[in-house]
Amino acid sequence: MTTHTPPARTKPAGTRTAPRRPRHAHRAALATARGRTGLALVGVVVLAGLLAPLLTGHGPTDQSGLSLAAPGTPGHPLGTDDLGRDLLARLLYGIRADLGIIAAAVPLGAALGCLLALAAAAHPVLDTVVQRTFDLILAFPGLILALAVTAILGPGRLPVILVIALAEIPVFGRLLRTGILVQRGREYVTAARVGGTSGGRILTRHILPNTADPLVVQIAVSLTVAVFVEGAMSFLGVGVRPPEPTLGAVLSQSMPYLAQAPHFAAGPLVTVTALVLGLSLAAEALNREIRR
Amino acid sequence: MTELYSSTPTALSRRTTLRAAGGGTLLLGLGLAGCRSAVSEAEAPAGKAAAEPRRGGTLTVAVNSDFTPSLLFAQSGQSLQHRLIYNTLTRYDDGLKPQPELATSWEYAEDGRSITLKLRTGVTYHDGRPFTADDVIFAVKNLQNPLRAAQLRATAAAVTGFEKRGDHELVLKLAHPVNNLFDLFEFMILTDRNSVEDAVTGKKLIGTGPFALTRWSPGAGLSFTRNEKYWQPDRPYLDAVEFRVVPQADALLSSLRTGQSQLSFGVPGKNLAVVAATPELAISEYTTGGGAYYLGVNTTVAPLDDKTVRQALARAVDRERILKQVLGGYGLASATPWPKSSPAFTEAGRTHYTYDPGKARELLKSAGHTRLDLPLLHINLPGDTAVAEAIQYDLKQIGVHVTLQPTDPATAQKNLISQKMPGLWTMSHGFAQVQPSTLAVSAYPFNEAKNTSRFRSAAYTKVVREAWTTPETGARANALRQQITDTLLDEAFIIDLVIRGSVQVSAKKLHGVTLNKFAYLNLDDAYLAG
Repeated sequence: MTTHTPPARTKPAGTRTAPRRPRHAHRAALATARGRTGLALVGVVVLAGLLAPLLTGHGPTDQSGLSLAAPGTPGHPLGTDDLGRDLLARLLYGIRADLGIIAAAVPLGAALGCLLALAAAAHPVLDTVVQRTFDLILAFPGLILALAVTAILGPGRLPVILVIALAEIPVFGRLLRTGILVQRGREYVTAARVGGTSGGRILTRHILPNTADPLVVQIAVSLTVAVFVEGAMSFLGVGVRPPEPTLGAVLSQSMPYLAQAPHFAAGPLVTVTALVLGLSLAAEALNREIRR
Repeated sequence: MTELYSSTPTALSRRTTLRAAGGGTLLLGLGLAGCRSAVSEAEAPAGKAAAEPRRGGTLTVAVNSDFTPSLLFAQSGQSLQHRLIYNTLTRYDDGLKPQPELATSWEYAEDGRSITLKLRTGVTYHDGRPFTADDVIFAVKNLQNPLRAAQLRATAAAVTGFEKRGDHELVLKLAHPVNNLFDLFEFMILTDRNSVEDAVTGKKLIGTGPFALTRWSPGAGLSFTRNEKYWQPDRPYLDAVEFRVVPQADALLSSLRTGQSQLSFGVPGKNLAVVAATPELAISEYTTGGGAYYLGVNTTVAPLDDKTVRQALARAVDRERILKQVLGGYGLASATPWPKSSPAFTEAGRTHYTYDPGKARELLKSAGHTRLDLPLLHINLPGDTAVAEAIQYDLKQIGVHVTLQPTDPATAQKNLISQKMPGLWTMSHGFAQVQPSTLAVSAYPFNEAKNTSRFRSAAYTKVVREAWTTPETGARANALRQQITDTLLDEAFIIDLVIRGSVQVSAKKLHGVTLNKFAYLNLDDAYLAG
C-alpha cells in the first residue's frame, strides 16, 4: 500500500527530446510487449465488468435452489454458489463493483495527496504539518485503518473508498513533494527564476510537468494495491455490504467450500490475478520507459 | 440423564456396547443410566466397536471462541468446559427426566413450594475441600446475583429459603411453585464458594468435575488434567483434555482433518459435507435442540407493529432452503422454537408457517403495504451472513426490501440485551430445549417481562407466568404450553426458522462423548480407542 516509484529522470521543460526517445513516453511504454500484455489483461477484465448485463442473464443477487451447482450446469456456465446464485453473474458484477471503487478511490487519494504536496511546497510550516499528517496516516497499517474507518462508518462502499483514498494520500503526496524538491534545485528552475518567472508559474509550467511521470506509474501501482485492499476488506467482512458482490466478497464466501467446490473460488482468484498482473505489467512498462 | 443425545441411529448400539464392555460397571450407582455417546459406533473403524474403553491419552478439542470467565454463570457461546471442571445437581435424560448427579435424590413438597435434596457424599473439590449443602446454597444465591447475568436468575430468585439438614441434605423453599427447577439444576454449576471471584476473572476455577483446569491461555486455549479424586470410580478415562481456540472455520476444519484435534462442535454447516467425506471423522447431531435461528421483529417500529405484517414475513421465508443451503441439512425447519424432544413440540406448530410468498403478499397487501424498506441486523460471520442473505432475498420477493447491517457478535449481543435492535434482526436463541416455561421467562428474545422485540401483552405475561408455576405434567400444563405456542405464532414477534442442536464432529477413535442440555461437555466416559 505504500509502494513508491523511484523518481524519474528529469527533462528540462521546452528542451528537445533525444532522437531515440519517443515523443510520448507513456504511449511508447504501453506499446512494449510488457505494456501490451498488461493492457490486454486489464482490458479483458474491464470489458467483462462493463458488459456484465450483456454477458449474463442472471442478477448477481438472484437466488435459487441450485446450491453449489458445478460449472457447465445449463444456464450457469461457472456454476452457482451456496445460495444458488449464478457465479458468472456475481463475478462480472463483482468486477464492476471493484472497478467502481478503485476508479473513485485511487484518483481521489492521488488528487488529495497532490494537493497536500503542493500546499507543502508553498510554505515550510505547511510542509511540516503535511509531513506529520502523512506520518500519522502511514502509522496505521492498512487493515487497521480499514477496521477503524468501518467501526466509525459501518460497512459499505463509501468506507472502502475512503480507506483506499486515505492510504494513497501520503503515497502520492510524498512522491510529488520529493519530485518538487528535486526539480527546484535544477538549473532550469534557477534560470527561470533569474529570468523573472513567478513562483506559481515555475511550479505549474516547469516543475510539475517534470514530476508527473512517476505519478502516472504510481497510479497503476495504486490501482493494484486498491484491488488488494478491497479484497481484503470484503474478505474480512468489513467491505461492501452483502449481498452485493465484489471480488473479495465472492472469494470470502467461497472459502468454506474450497474442498468440495473449488470452482467457487476459481473465478475471483483468476480475475484478481489477471487484474493485478495486468496493472503491474503496465506499471512496470511505464516505469521502465520513464527511467530510460 | 444427560443430554443432548445424538440422533445417530447407532447411538443405542453404542450404549449397548459400552454396557456390555463395561460389565455394567460403567453405570453402576453413578446416575449414568441413560447416558449415551453422541458418536456413532457404526461409523467407528471395524473391530473397534467392541473395544474395551482405554484409559489414558489426551483429547484435543477445537473451539471457535475462547472461554469468557465473566460469563461463567450465564449461558454463553462457549460453555463446553463447564461440565469438565464442575458438576451440576442433576442431569436430564432424553425425556427431560432429571437424573442424579451431585443430588442423589429429591422430593417435592405436595404444595410445590419446597424441595428436599439429598446430596452425594464423598465428593471433594479439586483443592480437597468436601462438597456440602453450603455449596448448593451458595450456588443458588450466586445465580440470584444480577452481576452474574444468569439467564435462569428468575428461577434462582424463586428460591427464597434454605434449610440445612446436616451437610448432605437441604430443603429449598420457593416463593411460588415453578416447573423449571430442574432446568436450574442442570444449568447451575457448583463452584467452590471460596474462590468464586477468582473464577469470574479466570484466575482460579475449582470444581468437583472430572478434570481440573491447569492453565488458561487467553485467546489460545485451556488445559485440563484428570481429577484423580473424582467421585465416579475409575473415571475419567482420559489423562488430559486440551481446548484449542481456532476462530477461523477453515483452520478449525483442517485441524480436525489432520488429526491435530479430535473433537469440535464449531464446524459450520457449510463445512459438514467435507467432514462427511473424510473417513476418519464422524458427524453426530444432537436433535434435542439447543439453538434456533430466528428472524426477530421490533414491534415498536412501524409498520412492524402490525401483526399482519409480521405474519406476512413469517410466511415469506423459505425455511427448508436455509436449512439445506446454509446449515448443510442439519436441523429442523420450524415455525416454533421447540425441538422435537420438547413437551411443547407439535407438528402442527412446526408447520404453521410454511413458505408461501403468494399468501405473504396478500397479507402484506391487506395490511396496506405493497413495498417496505427495512433494515436487518445480522452477525458478520459467514454462516449468519448467509442466513441474512437468504432472508433478504425471500423478503424481496414479497416487496420487502431489506438493507443488511453486518454487526460484530459483541455489539449484536449488547443490542439484543438492551432492546436496541432495528426493525429486523436475525440471530439464534437457546432455552427451548428444556422446560418450555424457561424460554419465556429466561431467554432475552422471548422474556415476557422484557424482550428484545419490545412486545408486551398482558395475555402473554399471564399465560407464561401460569405455565411457569403449574406442574409440568398434566392437561393444564399441556394447554398452557399450547397457549404460549399459539401466542408466539400469532404475534410473530420472534419468527423461528430452523432449530439446530449441536453438531458434533469427532475422530472415529473417540467414544463416549455427551453434552448436557446447555451444551456442557461431558467426558466422564470418553476414551480414545487405538
